Amino acid sequence: MKSQLFQMTLNKKLGLTVGFLGFVAVFAGNPYKGSGATVNVKELAISVEKEVDHVSPEELADWIMQGKADFRLVDLRSEKEFAEYHIPGAENIPLATIPEADLLRSEKIVLCSEGGIHSAQGWFFLKAKDFKAVYILRGGLDEWKDKILFPKLAVNATAYDKAAFEKAKAASAYFGGTPISGVTDQSVQPQVALPKIEMPSQANPQAGPQKKKKKEGC
Amino acid sequence: MNAPFFKFGYFGDDMSLVVAFVIGIGFGFFLERAGFGSGRKLTAQFYFYDMTVFKVMFTAIITAMVGLYYLSVLGFVDLSLVYQMPTYIIPQVIGGLILGVGFVVGGYCPGTSCVALSTGKVDAVVYLLGIIGGIFVFGESFSLIKDFYYSTALGQLTLPQIMHLPYGLIVFLVILMAVGGFAGATWVEKRIAAKGVKS
Repeated sequence: MKSQLFQMTLNKKLGLTVGFLGFVAVFAGNPYKGSGATVNVKELAISVEKEVDHVSPEELADWIMQGKADFRLVDLRSEKEFAEYHIPGAENIPLATIPEADLLRSEKIVLCSEGGIHSAQGWFFLKAKDFKAVYILRGGLDEWKDKILFPKLAVNATAYDKAAFEKAKAASAYFGGTPISGVTDQSVQPQVALPKIEMPSQANPQAGPQKKKKKEGC
Repeated sequence: MNAPFFKFGYFGDDMSLVVAFVIGIGFGFFLERAGFGSGRKLTAQFYFYDMTVFKVMFTAIITAMVGLYYLSVLGFVDLSLVYQMPTYIIPQVIGGLILGVGFVVGGYCPGTSCVALSTGKVDAVVYLLGIIGGIFVFGESFSLIKDFYYSTALGQLTLPQIMHLPYGLIVFLVILMAVGGFAGATWVEKRIAAKGVKS
């Protein structure tokens, strides 16, 4: 037996070795569970202060419209809220289930919630598990609705505002929202229905929310 | 201390360039020793009378796979931090075909052309000029092809994910495939050599 082993060519020896390693691999388990992580509080504090982990609604809208696939958009709200409305392409992982969610540390993850608080908390959980590229949708869905779905143009808008509004209109149309121009007060919350959950390409203009101009101020 | 070192922040950008230089030299050295500084040897792969390219590349894949798998099972590497290229299936298939055609026509792939250049091959100079021209055209026309470039996005895929099989089993299956491929490649080489196709 021993002499047979010595008589083998190098190729056969290598083949045998790798075959053995492969066989052992079947029983050796999953490599993705082989590591722990610690929290570097200072590093986290600095990145929080610098706000490097924020994604603005405009940026996110751009990414979705370009069809980028190098990130995952995770909606932390409950299933019920998710069913009512979510950003196209988002996946629903309620905050409580985030520790055992099927996310990879190498992935770029964008968290969103109603406002920003749950996202920030989810961000911390993931950072503690040593996820590298976790981002928060700034202002959450509230700001998404405000900036992307229902962008507003004040009556006394500057030229710069108007240019930005023209750009926002395109995004709004893509996501099935309604731009609102001629708003006298920025704080007015327009009472408009959320777009139906469909992929934008199939969006039916008929099914979109009704355009309502609200001009009341305080 | 566990890998990947750069992403865990064990060293900065400057050090990463030094490491890249050392790894690059090593990569180039082994490509040259495998005979990949010769366009004849490389194109022979496409006529099946010299399967060295297939064998070397498959050996590299197997070595990296087995190494990464065991190092991460033992806790030395955090595999979830290793970057995976996202899949854009149709653009990547077409890109692969373009690269393949260029490989057969030019005799090199981008990496091996640098190896050939360092051993003083004139055709490698021409090939590298072509690469630089290609980079320029691609860069300048990117806004035109951007939509296509990002189309059919499937995200970061791995074989265990799409086949719903345990990771270790995939490792074993890929090894079986490689060993079978090696035996098959040697067999093909012998058959073609017997026919006397070799130029």
